[in-house]
Amino acid sequence: MSTTPASQPGVSRRKFFSRSAAVAGAGGLALGAAGGAALAAAAAPPALSDVERAAQREHLSYPFYGEHQSGIETPPQDHLVFTAFDVSATTATELQLVLAKWSAAMAELMAGNPVGKVEPAREHGIPVDTGEATDMGSQGLTLTLGFGPSLFDSRFGLEKFKPVDFADLPAMAGESLNPAFTGGDLCIQACSNDPQVAYHAVRNLARMARTSVTTKWTVLGFGRASAGANQSTPRNLMGFKDGTRNITTPEELTEQVWVGTEAGQPWMVGGSYLVARKIHMLVETWDEDTIGDQQSIFGRTKKEGAPLSGEKEHDVPNFHAMTADSPIIPADSHIALVAHENNGGTKILRRGYNFTDGLDSVGRLDAGLMFLCFQKNPEQFVALQRKLGTSDRLNEYIRHVGSAVFAVPGGLPAAGSYYGKEFFD
Amino acid sequence: MPTLTPRTSRTTAPAFLKGSAFLTGTAVLALSLSACGSTAVSGSAAAPAGDAAPVSNGAAQIVVSVEKVNGEEQCVPDFSSAPAGPVTFTVSNKDASGVSEVELLSDKRILGERENVIPGLKAVSFTVTLTGGEYRLYCPGATTEYKSFTVSGAAAEASGSGVATLLKEGTDGYAKYVSGQVDSLVLAVAALQQAVDSGDVPASQRAYAEARPFFERIEPVAESFPDLDPALDLRVADVEPGTEWTGFHPLEKDLFETKAITEKSKALAAGIVKNVGILKTRTAELEKDAAYQPEELANGASGLLEEVQSSKITGEEEAYSKLDLVDFAANIEGSQQAFEYLKPALADIDGTLTEQISTQFESVTTALADYKDPAALGGFKPYTDELKKTDAAKLTALIQSLQAPLAKIAEKVATV
Repeated sequence: MSTTPASQPGVSRRKFFSRSAAVAGAGGLALGAAGGAALAAAAAPPALSDVERAAQREHLSYPFYGEHQSGIETPPQDHLVFTAFDVSATTATELQLVLAKWSAAMAELMAGNPVGKVEPAREHGIPVDTGEATDMGSQGLTLTLGFGPSLFDSRFGLEKFKPVDFADLPAMAGESLNPAFTGGDLCIQACSNDPQVAYHAVRNLARMARTSVTTKWTVLGFGRASAGANQSTPRNLMGFKDGTRNITTPEELTEQVWVGTEAGQPWMVGGSYLVARKIHMLVETWDEDTIGDQQSIFGRTKKEGAPLSGEKEHDVPNFHAMTADSPIIPADSHIALVAHENNGGTKILRRGYNFTDGLDSVGRLDAGLMFLCFQKNPEQFVALQRKLGTSDRLNEYIRHVGSAVFAVPGGLPAAGSYYGKEFFD
Repeated sequence: MPTLTPRTSRTTAPAFLKGSAFLTGTAVLALSLSACGSTAVSGSAAAPAGDAAPVSNGAAQIVVSVEKVNGEEQCVPDFSSAPAGPVTFTVSNKDASGVSEVELLSDKRILGERENVIPGLKAVSFTVTLTGGEYRLYCPGATTEYKSFTVSGAAAEASGSGVATLLKEGTDGYAKYVSGQVDSLVLAVAALQQAVDSGDVPASQRAYAEARPFFERIEPVAESFPDLDPALDLRVADVEPGTEWTGFHPLEKDLFETKAITEKSKALAAGIVKNVGILKTRTAELEKDAAYQPEELANGASGLLEEVQSSKITGEEEAYSKLDLVDFAANIEGSQQAFEYLKPALADIDGTLTEQISTQFESVTTALADYKDPAALGGFKPYTDELKKTDAAKLTALIQSLQAPLAKIAEKVATV
């Protein structure tokens, strides 16, 4: 599986130190005696310290190359920087250069390397890498690239590469979308166990493409709000566990998430569709709602996260269990509306993050859920959201303010390939 | 730089002496270094490093492959020497994502280079005319970043002298440009003083708007005199408590906010005239001494764009007169002039980047044309809060797209 972490600490550390030595060696070549001293220092046995103990997490590194892009089935890391871009360049060649540069740089970043010199050799050199993640390690960084429907308009002659039926999401009930958080020609989802490592990655990718690409909108997620395999279920800002019944098995991924040949594009094989929804929560009013109402809105208990029909979080909800003349789990509760049992087996891989932007223009907490999900067909999300938008009692407390959909290409096979290469051959 | 080469030489390629019998001992050592390096090379790019590169199409042909060699990212030239004359380096990146540029250096000077040497993209090339001597290939990020490159044949007094001459012509030309702007500034501030002395507010406003661009075009030069710039161009927020606020901006406040000319306004105008006179003396000296360095022009060009972003797009520069777009256009023009004087040399060093910067300047100039208003003071729309709200983000993106490539040129033309 492409996202099996290279988390054997011994292996990672050895790789890390061998790279340090290599860099020092190159410095030695340039600087003569001073460099030689640096080489000797790097070769000395490392002292045991807190740094050593943190090494496993710090040097958690996922492979960049593989059948699928990382950051989809990867167990959600702690932090998110999600950024949508518009292409300002006017020629296909410029776009090609951006995609090739990004692909190479993503490989370096995910390995915990800078994208270029932090401290150039010449006085008048401009640092290529901005430097704020220097020596921080890879921190489980994943970088996931997506193409928006607008990329396949006539600007770059990419119409014939557009996946079948790929289009902007339709307007749905319960939306109050702000154009400032909507759409984008490209997106990068950066996830990491350290927020600065994720931020550094997106900052540098945006910077190296500045002449061709402008940042359209960005969301910083500070806490994961979904669970992957073998992870405990985290909570959203409403205090409820989110993602208890998420997709975790390879079978479900194949069935619900990975695109095959049906998109009509070889570059989408092994890919997926990413739906991004910036959901503002009316946190203060939610906080003053009764526990009974809160639980019946979700269909789960707050502390344990058990379905109202059961006792434990992972008890399978029983949507037929009745109390007097109504279901124990209300039919218009959140879990009843989206459960695959009630949607012809449809599931989506949720990978959202809690976010906050401080205060909004009228003095409320500006916070909520950066909802991210992956699926084989955007229609899976649309079908579920149509039901939620019209019936979900949660709508009283949330507003969908941002929205976008992206075609996420399959993984790159090896160094020397880059995302979108087929577009330019 | 003899410390770069190992003292012991395990020569594995005796053939490199062929056709270059007069090579110095240092050169031999340098070559043997790269020959040793390439013994580890597997496959296609490993080459008889000692042979001089073959000449075709009037230039010696060197193919540099950036690739992983035994797990290490390396720059692998097929030849490490060439006869004097034009040399074409054709560079491609097979699978080394950590390396994205290749430069040819003479000491620390960049003679030619290609950026965006990215895995999966087509090979790119650059051609330089080299005289006999030692050079280095520099591949930032590679495991071995520097590789020696030897050119045999007639040794000239200065390598890359064509570029050096072009740079000298560029700095001389820029010195004249600065002096010309300062001459115009002298006349414009004299007119400003005359208008202020006459007590005519509308005429003084016009004279103010006419004088500002001459200063803004050469602001980095004015800023290089640490006493003059604060005396002439300090904004109110930057005034140290207890010190006197002088120069253009307190006068701007009188003319555009209070709209009243006082004795103090007249003193301010006189002070501007006096300090601009000093500026003229100093810039004339810079011209006479041929004191401008290419990297200063380059940093000045980039610095002007920094000015645009930090004080014009924010509307802080001309807070009272709203002439920020006039200054904006003048900063761009000054930046472009500095670039144009470097361009002939820069085109030799990095033609692709030069073209990219030219294109970005065109985009900015085209975009700025939308803000022109012949009826407005200074010829541009006033930069009102409304305009700032709707357009600032767009203007920022525009300038950042220009500054990103422009900031890179100082390193390429640097004489140190």
